[in-house]
Amino acid sequence: MGRITLEKVTKSFGAIDVLHGIDLDIGEGEFVVFVGPSGCGKSTLLRQIAGLDKPTSGEIRIDGTLVNDVPASDRGLAMVFQSYALYPHMSVRQNLAFGLENARMPKAEIDARIAEAARMLEIGDYLERRPGQLSGGQRQRVAIGRAIVRNPTAFLLDEPLSNLDAELRISMRAELAALHARLKTTMIYVTHDQIEAMTLADRIVVLRKGRVEQVGSPLELYNRPANRFVAGFIGAPSMNFLSGRIEGVSGAGTQLRLFDGELVTVPRVAEANQVGQDVSVGLRPQHMRVARDGENGVPVTIDMVEALGSETVVHAHASTGELVLAVLQGQHNLSRGDSLKFAYDPADLHLFDKNGARVSGT
Amino acid sequence: MKANGLLSASQSALMAVVGRLMGIIDVPLRYLQRKTGQTGMAAFFLAPNMAIFTVFVLVPFVINFVYSLTGGSAIFLSERSFVGAEQYSEIFACGNYLDPNSCKQDVFWIAAGNTAAFVVLQVSLMIVAALITALILNREIIGRGFWRAVFFFPVLLSPVVTGLIWRWIFQRQGVLNGVMQGLGLEPHDWLTERNSAFFASIGVSIWAHVGFYTLILLAGLQAIPKDLYEAAQMDGTSRQRVFWRITLPLLMPNLIVVLVLALIKAVQIFDEAFVLTHGGPGTSTMYLVQYIYETGFASELRNPGLAAAASILMGAVLVVLTLVQMAASRRNEKKGAR
Ligand SMILES: Nc1ncnc2c1ncn2[C@@H]1O[C@H](COP(=O)(O)OP(=O)(O)OP(=O)(O)O)[C@@H](O)[C@H]1O
Ligand SMILES: [Mg+2]
Repeated sequence: MGRITLEKVTKSFGAIDVLHGIDLDIGEGEFVVFVGPSGCGKSTLLRQIAGLDKPTSGEIRIDGTLVNDVPASDRGLAMVFQSYALYPHMSVRQNLAFGLENARMPKAEIDARIAEAARMLEIGDYLERRPGQLSGGQRQRVAIGRAIVRNPTAFLLDEPLSNLDAELRISMRAELAALHARLKTTMIYVTHDQIEAMTLADRIVVLRKGRVEQVGSPLELYNRPANRFVAGFIGAPSMNFLSGRIEGVSGAGTQLRLFDGELVTVPRVAEANQVGQDVSVGLRPQHMRVARDGENGVPVTIDMVEALGSETVVHAHASTGELVLAVLQGQHNLSRGDSLKFAYDPADLHLFDKNGARVSGT
Repeated sequence: MKANGLLSASQSALMAVVGRLMGIIDVPLRYLQRKTGQTGMAAFFLAPNMAIFTVFVLVPFVINFVYSLTGGSAIFLSERSFVGAEQYSEIFACGNYLDPNSCKQDVFWIAAGNTAAFVVLQVSLMIVAALITALILNREIIGRGFWRAVFFFPVLLSPVVTGLIWRWIFQRQGVLNGVMQGLGLEPHDWLTERNSAFFASIGVSIWAHVGFYTLILLAGLQAIPKDLYEAAQMDGTSRQRVFWRITLPLLMPNLIVVLVLALIKAVQIFDEAFVLTHGGPGTSTMYLVQYIYETGFASELRNPGLAAAASILMGAVLVVLTLVQMAASRRNEKKGAR
């Protein structure tokens, strides 16, 4: 129970096309995170699944049943809203009971479910209070509790943590992960925070302008981003991009000429027709270190150094003006204006063609 | 208009002018503040309002009270004799307290009864009408702005104009009877038959004021977050239950405001009803304010003292209503601590 399938789902508001044919297969019990920049259509997609809105075309299935015309309340889903959307004039208990009363559930069963949810979420002490008398984190728990008591086939969560302060967000994140491990119910979670996505997801769906850019496990997305957008979006700080050109391919890999004239061999073999192509070379800030004397690397000039103790963040620029950010382990005696080379392992280079797609074969 | 930060160009030009003006009054105000201190300044700013309140509310109120203790038909206080509470006992002089006709001032009690019936019917019907109108106007209907204007328009009319328009519709040879005759129905003497005249005065005053209360309720409806309704939708709430359990409780603060304003306004009913029916037929649409007006100024044997006493009694009722309202809204505030 809890398999959700989307087929060519589109959504337009008048002349504005917001979703352009979304295909997705969410497995039973999976924790799927929709991530993408603001306005990319995450909430819109979630609302189509929830039934709060109707897709312009395409099919949405829950456990194989077409639900396009099934009202939201009959889809067996529960939603947690970014604003919590708790009923302000009802006590916490009434908030939790409301949906169950609508379903004409016997009072004893309602009480049992509320007690169970209250125990799980540790909200038992303020069941008689109103939402206005709770802190943000407590309200968040109540909002999740309201979803849990309904015993849904899947949870839909739209940026549930974004109204919490940083510290609370991290602890609630861990609690959500624990909750999923316990309930084993399908969860679809919307966020634009890629760290939330990385830490919570079984699979991440990266959206951009109403299209799916890539679907995969957090590490798949991190290690083999399908395009420049995903590469830049997943991982913090963002991946660096330098210019280069593919000089040739051989059994050992792809020969790449970097902007500074240096020739490196990426140990993955591009297709032969890629030779001669200008490419964008991606390199994560964490994959760089200061080159030893005589060692090869990216030559840069330092703009700013942030010494954080355990690591040192170096803002620099290459001779082409391209910005390069490096996160170096430990402490380094570097300062503004210094010229040096950042060494790296060629296996950590990602190649993207001029359309932004990953160079095929690499 | 080119945006300049948060302010448009014309707004910032306005702000510059305002700033210049503030600069001019800055010097004397600073001087005053040094002279008078913090509390003195507050009194300084309150003074104009207090002066207006004193001249137009407080002093007339006191004078009115003094009049209610005097007798005779003379206008000037100096020519009037002090009679103590005689005017009040005149009003309360009844053979049988359950029968207004047994009272010496039977018209006062008839007018009071009419007013009470009017208040109960007009306020309850109008709030229901305002609520329904607001609920409809809050939907995504075609021409929403137009309909809002249509419902608000009568509020802008002078009560006399309102009365005249509806008199023209309801009178014997009026528009309504014309239409009814056209449809082959018997015409009716709307304004000269007791019940229809009474209900006509209620209907007209609802028509004249409902737009205002609709606007207050509409503002309240729009302040209810949309995602509460979506949460209710996910919770599988029926439309009736959404109305009774979510919309109505969250609209309660606005409803209380509307109730109080409508009550006070209804107790004071006079102008449009007077123009419409002149209180007739007989005394069947005679309301308290009309009684006070006629007793004090319009009748051949005018009695300003009795009119003043009647208005003091009516004022007391309004004060009680206001106190009840304040208690209710305080309770509601406490209950709805968000
Ligand atoms: N009811 C609507 N009418 C018209 N356009 C809409 C409507 N709802 C959303 N949009 C548009 O659809 C696009 C996607 O909106 P959506 O709310 O799904 O973004 P999002 O990815 O959730 O962004 P955020 O991270 O800021 O919440 C936006 O450009 C928005 O302007
Ligand atoms: Mg959103």
